[in-house]
Amino acid sequence: MPTLTIDGHTCTVDIGGTILDAARAVGIDVPTLCWYPSLTSVGNCRICLVSVEGTDKLLPACATAAEDGMRVTSESHAAVRSRQGVLGLLLERYPVEDIPAAEARNEFEALVRRYDVPTTHRAGLPPRDGDARDGDPAIRHDMSTCILCTRCVRACEEIQVVGVLDVAHRSDRAQIIVGADGNPEHAGCTWCGECVRVCPTGAIHDIIPMAVRAGDGTMLERPRSNAMPPIDRTVRSVCPYCAVGCQLDLEVRDDTVVHVRSPWIEEATPNRGSTCVKGRFGLDFVQHRDRLETPLIRRGWVKRDGRWIFDATHDTASMWPRRGGPWELIEEEGQTRKRGPRSNPLQRSTSGIGPLGDPRDRVATPLAWYAPFREATWDEALELSAQELTRLRDTSGPSSLAVLQSAKCSNEENYLLQRMFRGGLGTNNVDHCTRLCHSSSVSAMQQAMNTSAASGAMREVEDVADVIFLLGANTTESHPVFGAAIKRAVKRGATLIVCDPRRIELASRAHIHLRAMPGTDVAVMNGMLHHILALGLEDRDFIARRTHQFDRVRAAVQPYTPERASQISGVPAALIREAAERYARGPRSSTLWAMGLTQHATGTDIVTSLLNLILATGMIGRPGAAMLPIRGQNNVQGASDVGAIPMVYTDYQPVTNPDIRHRFAQEWGVPDDRIPLKAGLKVTQMVMDDSPVRGMYIMGENPILSDPQVAHAEHWFRELEFLAVQDIFLTETARYADVVLPGSSFAEKDGTFVNTERRIQLSRAAVPPPGDARRDLDILIELSNRIGLPSPYRDAAEVMDEIARVTPSWRGVSHARLESHAGLQYPVHDAEHGGTPFLFADAFPTTDGKATFFPVEYLPPAELPDDAYPFLLNTGRQMYHWHTGTMTRRSFALDARESTPIVELNPADAAAMGVGDGEEVVVASRRAEIRIAVRLSDRVSPGQVFIPMHYREAAVNLLTNPALDPVAHIPEFKVCAVSVHPANRGQSVHSATTPLQATSWTSASPAE
Amino acid sequence: MSHGPSASGGATLKPSPGHHDAPHEPVFTGATRAALDELITRYPTKQAVLLPALWMLQEARGWVSEAGMAEVAALLGITPAYVKGVVTFYTMYHQHPVGKYFIQVCTTSPCNVCGAEDVVKAFLETTGCGELGVTSDDGRYTVIEVECLGACGFATPVMVNSDFLESVTPDTVPGLLARYQ
Repeated sequence: MPTLTIDGHTCTVDIGGTILDAARAVGIDVPTLCWYPSLTSVGNCRICLVSVEGTDKLLPACATAAEDGMRVTSESHAAVRSRQGVLGLLLERYPVEDIPAAEARNEFEALVRRYDVPTTHRAGLPPRDGDARDGDPAIRHDMSTCILCTRCVRACEEIQVVGVLDVAHRSDRAQIIVGADGNPEHAGCTWCGECVRVCPTGAIHDIIPMAVRAGDGTMLERPRSNAMPPIDRTVRSVCPYCAVGCQLDLEVRDDTVVHVRSPWIEEATPNRGSTCVKGRFGLDFVQHRDRLETPLIRRGWVKRDGRWIFDATHDTASMWPRRGGPWELIEEEGQTRKRGPRSNPLQRSTSGIGPLGDPRDRVATPLAWYAPFREATWDEALELSAQELTRLRDTSGPSSLAVLQSAKCSNEENYLLQRMFRGGLGTNNVDHCTRLCHSSSVSAMQQAMNTSAASGAMREVEDVADVIFLLGANTTESHPVFGAAIKRAVKRGATLIVCDPRRIELASRAHIHLRAMPGTDVAVMNGMLHHILALGLEDRDFIARRTHQFDRVRAAVQPYTPERASQISGVPAALIREAAERYARGPRSSTLWAMGLTQHATGTDIVTSLLNLILATGMIGRPGAAMLPIRGQNNVQGASDVGAIPMVYTDYQPVTNPDIRHRFAQEWGVPDDRIPLKAGLKVTQMVMDDSPVRGMYIMGENPILSDPQVAHAEHWFRELEFLAVQDIFLTETARYADVVLPGSSFAEKDGTFVNTERRIQLSRAAVPPPGDARRDLDILIELSNRIGLPSPYRDAAEVMDEIARVTPSWRGVSHARLESHAGLQYPVHDAEHGGTPFLFADAFPTTDGKATFFPVEYLPPAELPDDAYPFLLNTGRQMYHWHTGTMTRRSFALDARESTPIVELNPADAAAMGVGDGEEVVVASRRAEIRIAVRLSDRVSPGQVFIPMHYREAAVNLLTNPALDPVAHIPEFKVCAVSVHPANRGQSVHSATTPLQATSWTSASPAE
Repeated sequence: MSHGPSASGGATLKPSPGHHDAPHEPVFTGATRAALDELITRYPTKQAVLLPALWMLQEARGWVSEAGMAEVAALLGITPAYVKGVVTFYTMYHQHPVGKYFIQVCTTSPCNVCGAEDVVKAFLETTGCGELGVTSDDGRYTVIEVECLGACGFATPVMVNSDFLESVTPDTVPGLLARYQ
């Protein structure tokens, strides 16, 4: 390793390290402009030139390898003169008259000040021009300040692996361009904002979608990257969207989140400075005017003689049936006419889309929804909730109560909520939306190897894996930051095998795309394993040392020749063979999957067949051979870890074990027999017709849109005796509540989230909750106390201390330790233990340390297309929206991108039925029908359609099949049979206005 | 901004309305596609075929449209922005439609001394183009200035498509153009 001296400091760098690396290592600030961590060093700006003894010319520190014995002077006279010259030349095209006299607004101006370069304008060249993109809701350009450092070009190409930008023209006309035609959409832009992050001059900058209203009612935009009024503070937080767990810096002014920055790229965070469009531009929901600020109580509830009773004649309660209101049912809304999807409103020629307007007007809760409620005090709301929950417990029994917890809320909140229901109310009817996403993965992994989480880390997949097998996961849209990491891995040389019925972005970059029919994955996995065994590519040593029952699986896959698998799945047998060989040959194959495998009536089987493949080839327990179920919500892993599921306490300790129950009862100070030894009801069992549940508490979930067969769910919730909803908006579910408790968003509270790689991260409060809204933890503490379960916690850190006491694999976790940015990957055995990035090197957490194979037979999905319903409906997410849209549809920048529901339809099918892009169709299943606009897309195969789940006005879960997996009780969201018909033949529903100009659909009349 | 002959290259073509709106029909089909695929086998990477692929595009369509760049990008597995960067770097790819006869007049120093600017003027007037880089209304001619055509002893050299004409003077221009109708 070369040792050199810089300005008299001796330093050693790795072989291949540059002079710049050496200088940074000893804290010498060699200036840079075109250089940026992790990007290719191009050495084109010449600002980092330094003097090296014995060399006549100056050398670029960023592009010169450090050599043994080098003697470097970073600020030699020659180097400084050279830098002044470089900066002076760059200033010739820079709008110097705009530079503030006293301060520097950006990196470039800071260097101009540092080297004392005069900023008087020299006559000569006109300002540089380039990408303008008027009207973009988040990203703006002022290319007159561009210095052509090409950081944006490289960041887009190398970090996001998209390549929207490049340099075109030459000499004095050289400029940054967008795609071939200036349209970012054509070039694959997803508005992640990586270019904004790396730009050293603010030539590419973001305006604040989380706009703040100025005193005169106008919106405050952000004209240049640093030209905002100064912020009060920056708070490190964790993104509330997906389970990648990106850390974010929230910039706060006047107790308002005014801007999102990403952490410095070199910090040890899961995202290393990247974000996706949702994380950077989609957090304005925090300040949306729909935020609930006061507790609400349904009209009709009155307190008489010290007790709350419902009097249907009181107030205006009689205007609506019990639990009704002045709104359309989801089912009714599904049948209203829809505005067509936008037709490229953001292409370059569409300038003058107009001022932003108030994002809070875009998608709002209709005012009428508030009518059945009256504002209440916290005392009233909590008293009523406590009274009704305890009344139902005492009269109908504890099993008449159930709670839906939240994968959006923190570990501390989820722990307290299940503690309240188990220890306070005596029921295990505790569940959350993990039931609807990875419950089948968990049941399969529990069965095979007694684990419930990923074995490896995202970084392993990016840096080490030789083969990446991705199944049923649209990672570039659902987990974009991880999706980019997979693309980087492919660029590095990893082989990508995608198994997905749709031609998603990663499928188009994959070496092999197994385009299996939805729900036929067992056949594909068994076929692959059959071929692996036929070639003898299985890992016999691993099978012998670390597993049981392989022979049963060997026998079971025998009939699944690649040809038979091909018949079932539609994947050519040759591809199944090739995928099998590449996967088995590895040498390090990582296996990633998501909802495409799990949301099936055979979800547990499907994941089991995949685990068989993993175990037979030994692709687990080594770095780069990661087993990674990609979790959905930001804290779905954590909510499960802290016991928000009906059969286990924290750390998946079964509720059926009396010793474990005793430990928890003792910790909570309640008698053992208050908590049943029987597992509680799962989400999908709670809402069945014969369910015993009469009273419910829902925190941060919106089951009326997310459950299968919404029409049924909506009726079921209306029949409850008591429903309390703790949320930040009056959701579709909350409108049926008796009590609505206004909680806090992620930005308003301290707490921890667990990402998809078991990383526990601390998110910090940046702003206070709006109005009288309270931090969720405070609500739960107060309610627990009123229910009779003393809850002596003062803050989330104290709750975490208790979680650590009762959760073996979190024993060493505390808020103090999580202050370091990297967080901790559990298991964390004690206060000194540094966490576990990667599991199962030597043993599985089973009694004998071995995993077990379970043979699986292919079973077809519960409902397949037939003559009456000839299309196969698949559901899922889009890039710009999240789940039931509660947050993203209240984000200006996100909703502007994707503002109307669409059905993806193959052009061949569309041609056959005579509908064009943007026209409206009726999609009907045996359960319901919805009207929705068509988006022509060859991402779906002929005979299949795809509808995202985010839209209330065309709720796809009206259509989905509530058939359940027998083990995990996860519904079959991914397959059902539908028919598609033109709604009004020949009548286009293309809107003349772009979504940005249009008023929100909530204020539009249904007939519009 | 005027871009006459300069170190940055002289061929600045001006857009003529109408051409851009026609939808892009793929160029690389049938024999053209086969020719490209064959060409790809001769290079170490697909990206390396970019320049010849762009020539094929220009030969087929007379110019290189943005949609054409996107087509080439998709075929070669590179980004449309990269292709545009290359197209705009070189002067011989036409970024706008040109006339049936593409007239390049050398105006580098020796020719300039010998009166090349008058030759240019004569071409602009006789063709009806009026302005450098603009295609005549009848769609027949586009005139541009170019850097040295390598015939300084025979000023002023002119290229009409691939024909090389020497010792052109303002007086001979109408007669020359009569051959290019």
